[in-house]
Amino acid sequence: MEVKISEQGGTMTAAFVGRLDTPASLEVSRDIQPLLDNANKTLVLDCKELSYISSSGLRIFLTIRKAAAAKGGKVIVKDITDDIRQVFMMTGFLNLFEVRNG
Amino acid sequence: MIRISHLSKVYPGGVTALRDISLEVRPGEVISVIGPSGCGKSTLVRCIEGLEAPSAGTIETGSSRLGMVFQQFNVFPHLSVLDNVTLGPVKLRGIPREEAEQRGMELLRTVGLAEKARRMPDSLSGGQKQRVGIARCLSMDPDVLLFDEPTSALDQTMKTEVFGVISELAKQGMTMVIVTHELEFARKVSTRVLFMHDGEICEEGTPEQVFDHPQKTLTQIFIRNRRSLIFQVDSREYDLYKFNADIEWFCQRNHLGKKYFTLELITEELLTHFLPFSGPIHFRIYLNDEKKLAMEIEQESCSSPIVDSPEADEISLMILQGLCASIRERQEGASRFLDIVVNDVYNQD
Repeated sequence: MEVKISEQGGTMTAAFVGRLDTPASLEVSRDIQPLLDNANKTLVLDCKELSYISSSGLRIFLTIRKAAAAKGGKVIVKDITDDIRQVFMMTGFLNLFEVRNG
Repeated sequence: MIRISHLSKVYPGGVTALRDISLEVRPGEVISVIGPSGCGKSTLVRCIEGLEAPSAGTIETGSSRLGMVFQQFNVFPHLSVLDNVTLGPVKLRGIPREEAEQRGMELLRTVGLAEKARRMPDSLSGGQKQRVGIARCLSMDPDVLLFDEPTSALDQTMKTEVFGVISELAKQGMTMVIVTHELEFARKVSTRVLFMHDGEICEEGTPEQVFDHPQKTLTQIFIRNRRSLIFQVDSREYDLYKFNADIEWFCQRNHLGKKYFTLELITEELLTHFLPFSGPIHFRIYLNDEKKLAMEIEQESCSSPIVDSPEADEISLMILQGLCASIRERQEGASRFLDIVVNDVYNQD
């Protein structure tokens, strides 16, 4: 699992590559610190290459959303695969996040 | 057509591969021979073909011509595809080359490789090479075709190609004896299935009898295990990647496409948020009687509810409820069981 973070203008993008399972989530919770520090900006979570997510991974997304809500930022989840869309749907995350595909 | 009486095979060194096998192969029969590795099924067809000499008993083939297709293709690499198919007829049967080539092209059409006639085998895929192997056997006009694990060396797509050719031959009435590990294929193509164990024919019958209503315990265990993935978890230091690899392999073997995503997620959520690790945990993933994907999880040394717990993690519970059509709990002795049927909706390719 890899998180590639980049910044352009007022937008911070985190590209999640690989599987966000429980072991990976432990590591990723450290990797996302720059996003939490910049939670007043627009945060794009690019999921084009995210192949798997479990509840532990969803909790990472929730942490980012909470930080953004507290600091007045905005979170956009981009390009989720069909498998991950199902997981978002059954957990209500589809309503919780702004999800953009394409 | 073929009559085997009291056939036994003991290898030098004393290993008994076949014990007192009697079997009759009738015209038009398609017989699949299944069983665990080392049960003697390959030795049986090798004896029929004459590649192994029986230690006792007789094999009568009368005037029937036999042809054998091997796991490792057995095509001549230095001959073109067409020459592979004409060599036998020309050299061994004295058929004029022109006639042999005409017949060779017909056979290549039968196995879907006419356009590759002038190619060399090295430029073909494994599945195509195996189909050349089948055409080569057919070129000798056999009355019976014997197959020794013809698809073991092939990936799923190539297996399907070869299964297609064998099914076509079955439709045309070719008599065949097929040693295979592919149970679903055996079910579809066979008129009779033999289950071998430890050198003996343990059970035989129609595919429905052997696969759906096996009478012998050994057959029941074999069929059940072949259709199940079983793994045990002893502590929280488990190897999630090993389980995932096993799940993906199980899905591939059972043609379950992308269902591994669902199975991996259920497994991870249960291990991470629900199972108390009060003792060893046994997972069994299988296709139930309605051909639905199901799981049975046994948590040893546990007598309290696992999923119906008030402290259940909310997100994790939503995932489980979304992925599972039903989750039932039961107590058996000191073990708590979860019986899960996977939801079809999130279960498609």
